[in-house]
Amino acid sequence: MVGVLIRMKLTIMRRGMTDSRASWMLVGAFAGLCPASCTIWLATREAGHPGALVDLLALVLAMWTFGWMLGPVWSGEPVLGPESFALVPLRRRVLALGLLGAALVGIPTGVALIAFGALVVFAARLGVAPVMVAVPVVVLQVLFVVVLSQLTGRALRAVSGSRLGAAVAGLCTAAMLVASQSGWIVFVALDEVLVSGLSPRVSWVIRALPSGWGLAAIDAAGRADWGVVAVDLAGLCVLIVVLFTLWSRSLGPRRRARSGAVRGSRPAMRPGFRGDEATAAVVSREWRAWWRDPLRVQTLVAAPAFAIMSCALPLAFDSTALLPFAGALTAVMGAVTSANPYGQDGTALWLTLLVPGAARRDVRGRALAWMALFGPSSIVLMLGGGVLNDRAGVWPWAVAATLGALAGGVGLMLLVGVEQLVPGPDPRRRKSSPLDHGNVTGQAFVVLIGIGAVTCPGFGVMWVGERVGSASTVGVGAVLCVLVACLSALYCGRRARRTLIARGPELLHLMRTGSNSDTSRAGATSPVGERVGQRHPMVWMCAVLGLIACVPQALVPTIMKINGTIAPVWFLALHLPNNWQWLVIGFMYGLGIMLLGLSGILYRGRLRSF
Amino acid sequence: MTRRGERGRSAEVDSSAPALRLDGLRKVFGERIAVTGLDLTIEPGSFFGLVGPNGAGKTTALSMAVGLLRPDAGTSHVFGADVWQQAGRARELLGVLPDGLAMPEHLTGRELLTYLGRLRRLDRTTAALRTDELLDVMDLMDAQRTPIVDYSTGMRKKIGLATALLHAPKLLVLDEPFEAVDPVSAAGLKHILRRFVAGGGSVLLSSHVMALVEELCDTVAVMAGGDVVAAGPLHLVKGHGTLEDAFVELVGGTRAEGEVLPWLVS
Repeated sequence: MVGVLIRMKLTIMRRGMTDSRASWMLVGAFAGLCPASCTIWLATREAGHPGALVDLLALVLAMWTFGWMLGPVWSGEPVLGPESFALVPLRRRVLALGLLGAALVGIPTGVALIAFGALVVFAARLGVAPVMVAVPVVVLQVLFVVVLSQLTGRALRAVSGSRLGAAVAGLCTAAMLVASQSGWIVFVALDEVLVSGLSPRVSWVIRALPSGWGLAAIDAAGRADWGVVAVDLAGLCVLIVVLFTLWSRSLGPRRRARSGAVRGSRPAMRPGFRGDEATAAVVSREWRAWWRDPLRVQTLVAAPAFAIMSCALPLAFDSTALLPFAGALTAVMGAVTSANPYGQDGTALWLTLLVPGAARRDVRGRALAWMALFGPSSIVLMLGGGVLNDRAGVWPWAVAATLGALAGGVGLMLLVGVEQLVPGPDPRRRKSSPLDHGNVTGQAFVVLIGIGAVTCPGFGVMWVGERVGSASTVGVGAVLCVLVACLSALYCGRRARRTLIARGPELLHLMRTGSNSDTSRAGATSPVGERVGQRHPMVWMCAVLGLIACVPQALVPTIMKINGTIAPVWFLALHLPNNWQWLVIGFMYGLGIMLLGLSGILYRGRLRSF
Repeated sequence: MTRRGERGRSAEVDSSAPALRLDGLRKVFGERIAVTGLDLTIEPGSFFGLVGPNGAGKTTALSMAVGLLRPDAGTSHVFGADVWQQAGRARELLGVLPDGLAMPEHLTGRELLTYLGRLRRLDRTTAALRTDELLDVMDLMDAQRTPIVDYSTGMRKKIGLATALLHAPKLLVLDEPFEAVDPVSAAGLKHILRRFVAGGGSVLLSSHVMALVEELCDTVAVMAGGDVVAAGPLHLVKGHGTLEDAFVELVGGTRAEGEVLPWLVS
């Protein structure tokens, strides 16, 4: 059975493999191998405090385990699900074994093996016997995270059909995003831990977690404490069996009906839109969908949650500097995570196409509904954060950033949603999970970069105003920021509308079949241009590396040097002698701009080639 | 000047033109020719049935006919209005029920009809009245507050048909309208469609159920391999036998007879 399911999974993956998927798979593998290599590197470090390295490794392994638990939030439905075998007379335990075998075959498991390989590296420093213990420990730990991931994935899918489940998924997404983009704070923590170790209580908790049991066994083997080794290994085995049993029991048909179905209840606080009746109808439809569709509820929660968490993080260092920008961040995240509006609604587009004049109103109505949802929350968060920050000079920046992000975001979201539509599972088939959606990473990056581009001229003027001490120049910059963003919204909205009218049937076909290649023929124009994000991860890799070079490797060190509070952490320039620092910072600015420019050229080139 | 509430009925109808005329419609998906130069004319007041085996190209042909799929070649005219060049006029005259497409899934049935009424600029009273009547005749009153995502396949067909009828079109194009609809509802739908045709409307429907087409339609076309292999008045196409016999003969199929799957006999 295990062999059959593994072959089935590989066949499905091979059949569904496109250039874009293969490229993204490689990018994913690379993205996983980087932290895995770091974990191994960590195991080779010297610690200044006895036990500090074990603490640190236990902490990192706990983070890996946590990542595996939340992995299903992003990975969507597994290639093979138990539902496909509901009518096959198989015992659940046999089916679970088969599915587990299939789940073990894949790049993520390989990455986990490398990451947990750090245990063998660590054991090698202790002697031969710990290495002998480490080899089965690695296998057990990988098995543990894979089974745990299957179980949590099942649980997440069970609750994610409801609005509450979608909200929880949104919070998890926000927390993981904050953790990933504030990684440098973790580096600060790691540095501290290596020097002084964790506090005894935290150390005990981290080691007591199942993710640390294998490590504890290896550590005990180093001390020839074989009793502890046996208990730890036996505990890990029992835990895997328990988790596997729980998971296999959960593989039956779903007993619960989809929870959270809205039985005609009217969402409170519908926007009182007065104007064109047809546009108002679209606003009303969108408003209801935003409160009822689990996928949208997830976005609705994730955006402000991400903004609040990110801006509150510096409070750990008694800094309120980011709080006034919580509103701007909400708007940015709201736009970034809503960047596939037509793809999310799938083939329901046919209704819009068959009503005269509806396409134009659809674009406008969606924009107004999005504004009605994210506008007030962004502004409230900006006001609250500004009051808590209590620095008068920050207000023009906060207002310009929030309004600029709102206006820029809404236009870009709609334009990208039409021009680079990514088909996902059709909504009529997606009734049970907000986790099912197409890969919209590319669209998200375009919106993110676009918002930066439309607001940067205004911010540039404001920065100059700050440098020369001219309040009026700062004010002009703020107005410019908002004005350019508004003009961009008008332009993007108009272009989205024209594309929708001109290429609506092709967009519908794309969503119906999941591919636009079927329509390709000599002399035909591509319906939606090239879906850059899907086919050319090079564009996004350049964009990501460019942003890393520009922001954490150039902008952050610049601010640190100007403020005089230098924490080298992972900022390359700050690890160098003082007279080299500005040079490297300048180089990083240049590299970042070059990479972002290259990304833009590749992006435009792909569009033009179609 | 047109009153807002009458917008759904306002498009001028060229009474001399066919209700639907398809000329040389062609569609190729990659290597596969889905529809090969389809010509079809549906006269006003006609109840037209389009039948064909799976993969014959019926859904592709209907999608191109109503403007939901751009053809590689050919044209489609609704009462003389080109579906692509005069899209607005053609869409006012058309009511469409496609097969297997989503709807605004998180609206309830009533909300969907109200939304479409406003989008089509029916006045509120007219829209509310028609919504009530449609929900009633489609037997969807009990489900009027249930989101469409929770509808059964048959209920989806019925609410889809309601959306097609809401603006009082002149031509209905229905792809498998009776699929998964229960017999009681089907009887109601047949009555509605017959009355629609009796009142001067035209219907083009596709179906796999020969008995249904035979019962409802006065004209039929049989599609196979992306083209029409026979078309005309029902009695001429079916000849002396049943439509099913004629269909099997036309599409080149064979009836399963004699010893098949002997291991099934216990």
